[in-house]
Amino acid sequence: MAILVIEHVSKFFGGLAANSDVSFSMEEGSIMGLIGPNGAGKTTLFNCITGYYPPSKGVIWFEGRKMNGLQPDKVCKLGMARTWQKVRPLAKMTVLDNVVVGALARTNSLRVAREMAMAQLEVVRLHGKAGFLAGGLPIGERKKLEVARVLATGPKLLLLDEVMGGLNPAESEEIIQLILDIRTRGLTQMVIEHDMKAIMRISDRIVVLNSGEKLAEGSPDEVVNNQDVVDAYLGESHAED
Amino acid sequence: MTFSPSTRTGLSAGAALLLLAALAIVPRFVQSPYALHVLILIFLSTIMGQAWNILGGYTGQYSVGHAAYFGVGAYVTVSLMLHRQIAPWVGMWAGAAAVVVVALVIGSICFRLRGPYFVLASIAVTEIMRLVATNLKDLTNGAEGILATEIPPLKFGATVITDFGSKVPFYYIGLGLAVLTILVTWAVTHSKLGYCFQAIREDQDAAHSLGINPTLYKNIALAISAVLTSFAGAFYAIYVGFVDPPTVLGLDLSVQIVLICIIGGIGTIQGPMVGACILVPLSEILRSNAVPELLMKWGWMNGESGIGLFLKENLAHAHVLIYGILVVLVILYMPEGLVGFLRRVTRGRRAA
Repeated sequence: MAILVIEHVSKFFGGLAANSDVSFSMEEGSIMGLIGPNGAGKTTLFNCITGYYPPSKGVIWFEGRKMNGLQPDKVCKLGMARTWQKVRPLAKMTVLDNVVVGALARTNSLRVAREMAMAQLEVVRLHGKAGFLAGGLPIGERKKLEVARVLATGPKLLLLDEVMGGLNPAESEEIIQLILDIRTRGLTQMVIEHDMKAIMRISDRIVVLNSGEKLAEGSPDEVVNNQDVVDAYLGESHAED
Repeated sequence: MTFSPSTRTGLSAGAALLLLAALAIVPRFVQSPYALHVLILIFLSTIMGQAWNILGGYTGQYSVGHAAYFGVGAYVTVSLMLHRQIAPWVGMWAGAAAVVVVALVIGSICFRLRGPYFVLASIAVTEIMRLVATNLKDLTNGAEGILATEIPPLKFGATVITDFGSKVPFYYIGLGLAVLTILVTWAVTHSKLGYCFQAIREDQDAAHSLGINPTLYKNIALAISAVLTSFAGAFYAIYVGFVDPPTVLGLDLSVQIVLICIIGGIGTIQGPMVGACILVPLSEILRSNAVPELLMKWGWMNGESGIGLFLKENLAHAHVLIYGILVVLVILYMPEGLVGFLRRVTRGRRAA
């Protein structure tokens, strides 16, 4: 069953179309890669899906429910959670408390929230730093904290915005394993990523955006061999791999 | 020496109880009305600072318009006492109810804005209220203010507990209200509310994406903060017995409230207490002639010399200037306030 359906979504800023007539759907439990050059409208689409911007046109359906016009906090409680391209740790709170804030979306009890938070910190292997201030973490751990925090909100669909950006290969590999782990738990994930090798490895399907429009959609193999995608984005070298 | 977190909580709770016990017996040993007056002012400042701290310190919304809630609490309590013979400890709840309405109206205007724009809006709204109070002569007696020194005696059944003849009853009311605000702050910070407030302070957009409705929680923080501030206003009004727009609705007061927290330490439970304990005596000392007198007593200055005469005559007049310079120095060198500064120093020593 499709968990998320994007129907003819457009987002205009003045005369600029950041997204225009984008449609696709996601199967429950799958991983979808969202790729495209800078300025293609990937993050704008995330913002439309998660309630930060109302779409100018089109409809977003989540589990058969129309999401247009819902505020981000409502979207989160309905089971969609997103991370931020530029990480947003709650700097003066501890690592544990950052995740507790996420868990409080599901419970009113601090004790329960702490237990849930600790469990998620173990998933991303940050439990050793639970008492540290989030603002003092290096970038790799901030990205993991971001993932733990959204996991704690108990989502069905995760939207990950460049969680590997700025990481070294070893750290990226950890995140890839984490994403694959999360899939085995039945969560659906939409992943924006610039690292082509990584996105090809983890995605079941890929949507390519270019200048706000959907350029192509398909399995990783289909997308790599699509001539439009190669021209617009991947370039010659990748096509010859 | 290091303690586990629970031991440390136990220790600070013990220390707090000891301090409270000591404060409770102070009037038995201190007869000087002036000393009690200074302590009452410290309680008042603690209440105002701690109340602001909930919105400014924990939720990150730097309101420079808290005089609005102080003033409404003061005016409602005093007017009800004067015109309707309603006792202030009943009237203050009416004041609190009025303040919640005012706070939600102000919140619905100001919380559309963030950062410096919110600060400016909070100042503007309170200035509007000061002007309205100055001109609504039927309700507030305008710029002349309201004089209300006749406080009905506090009775329990037929027994009169106090007739407010001395400063002692005010001392205990101030202490009680200060303890109440501190307990409310403690309860808030140790609950879901506190986490939501702090998440909004750290990053409103991130908090929003984690299921927190920022508008709702900012208004809750404002309502709690405003009600506690209105209690301070009501207490001030019956203690001083006089309210007029510049003193209870003025920008001076709004700034004073923020300073208590800045000096003590924003977003800490001890900060407002520390700030009040520094600022109140400081302004009292500077306002009196105590400094030149001490300098002369210690022989550092000759009372007959030109400088001596000049200081003796002018230093007290310059108290606002000196106060201002000291505040600037603290902000420059201890941007996290005294509590934050001390924490950093002790942490540095522990690490070394």
